[in-house]
Amino acid sequence: MPQVISSSVTAEPSVDEAALYFDISQADKELVSHLESTSDEMGDILIESFYAHIMGHEEAAQHFRDESHLERVKRGQKRYFADLITAPLDDAYIEDRRRIGQIHERARVSPTLYIGAYSYYLTRLGDHVRQTMKDDPEQAFAIAFALMKLAHFDMALALETFVSAREDTIQAREREISELPTPVLKLQDGLLLIPVVGTLDSFRARALTLQLLEGIREHRARAVVLDITGVAAVDSAVANHLIQSMAAARLMGAQSVLTGLSAEVAQSLVKVGVTGEALNTAGDLQSGIVLATKLMHG
Amino acid sequence: MTRRVPILRQNGILIASIQEELSDGDILALQSRILSDVVSINAKAVVIDVSALDVLDSFGTRTLTEIASSVELRGARTIIVGIQPEVAMAMVLLGLDFRNIATAFDLDHAFDLLRAA
Repeated sequence: MPQVISSSVTAEPSVDEAALYFDISQADKELVSHLESTSDEMGDILIESFYAHIMGHEEAAQHFRDESHLERVKRGQKRYFADLITAPLDDAYIEDRRRIGQIHERARVSPTLYIGAYSYYLTRLGDHVRQTMKDDPEQAFAIAFALMKLAHFDMALALETFVSAREDTIQAREREISELPTPVLKLQDGLLLIPVVGTLDSFRARALTLQLLEGIREHRARAVVLDITGVAAVDSAVANHLIQSMAAARLMGAQSVLTGLSAEVAQSLVKVGVTGEALNTAGDLQSGIVLATKLMHG
Repeated sequence: MTRRVPILRQNGILIASIQEELSDGDILALQSRILSDVVSINAKAVVIDVSALDVLDSFGTRTLTEIASSVELRGARTIIVGIQPEVAMAMVLLGLDFRNIATAFDLDHAFDLLRAA
């Protein structure tokens, strides 16, 4: 199973923070542990009734159309709620909650379903406490509040993990996009066009260089037009890389023309000490092709 | 073992095709042979083909640059032909760029350049 690396952007709650933000103390843990037998006997019933409750909805029914999957989820959920009552609040507990958050993200369990199930469980359990402890409402309240603190901490853990797993997914997608190959197009014999679109980071700039040089070899190109109209910004490292690519292309005997420089790109090129003399540039693709054709024929 | 790079002559153009890695001594020998040939036949151009080379180090690059500069002093041109992608990239990263020397993809390209000039 691929380990989802939790991002460090969001603060990761620790046991200390549980005590700080959620005001959870050992006393709360002890109060909640009074519910152990109750949660044992009610766990199954509550979970069954919850699923009976939500399966009426098409979305939930769609999500749990696989019987064995539903059984597995129910078992996991029972353990999850049992841990809430009995498991000691330590690093292992937090680690476990975080792992479950990751599973939720992968299984596309929405926060609504997660919090909904939680709320259903808590209110039913609270109801039970209220009814069974009619003679000691003080204690019943104390237990309910302690339970609420733990539950909120639990949800915070799961949602932090959920969010950071989402962020990782988004980052992975972005990386995929940035790794999209840049096409090398043949305009006419010996003349190539490479349109660069998107973000140019160092990784992609390096891949671009290789494609440029391989393209020259493959097509026996004598001139290359590198169009960066679709590039919003380049930093100085990438600007340097572009210059190096064009120098390498020249070593292979191909003249290169850079077209479509945006104002920002032009500025960052100047910042790394590039002037128009060292570089064939043209304002737009059309004049770039004209220039390249001229260079190609000496 | 010294390797002797063949130097061909065609219509006043010298063509040296380097087929294998050369030692520093071999390159220096090539340099002096090219220059004496340029003088003896009054060549108008020198074409050096390096397409078989996987590496061009700084010494090789500097010597090729020296050859080109000396040839130019005789009023002739030098064209380096067939630098491979990997070699080109490595040279650029080392800051070696044959700044004032013409380069060509292959011999055809080199002759086109000479005709155009």
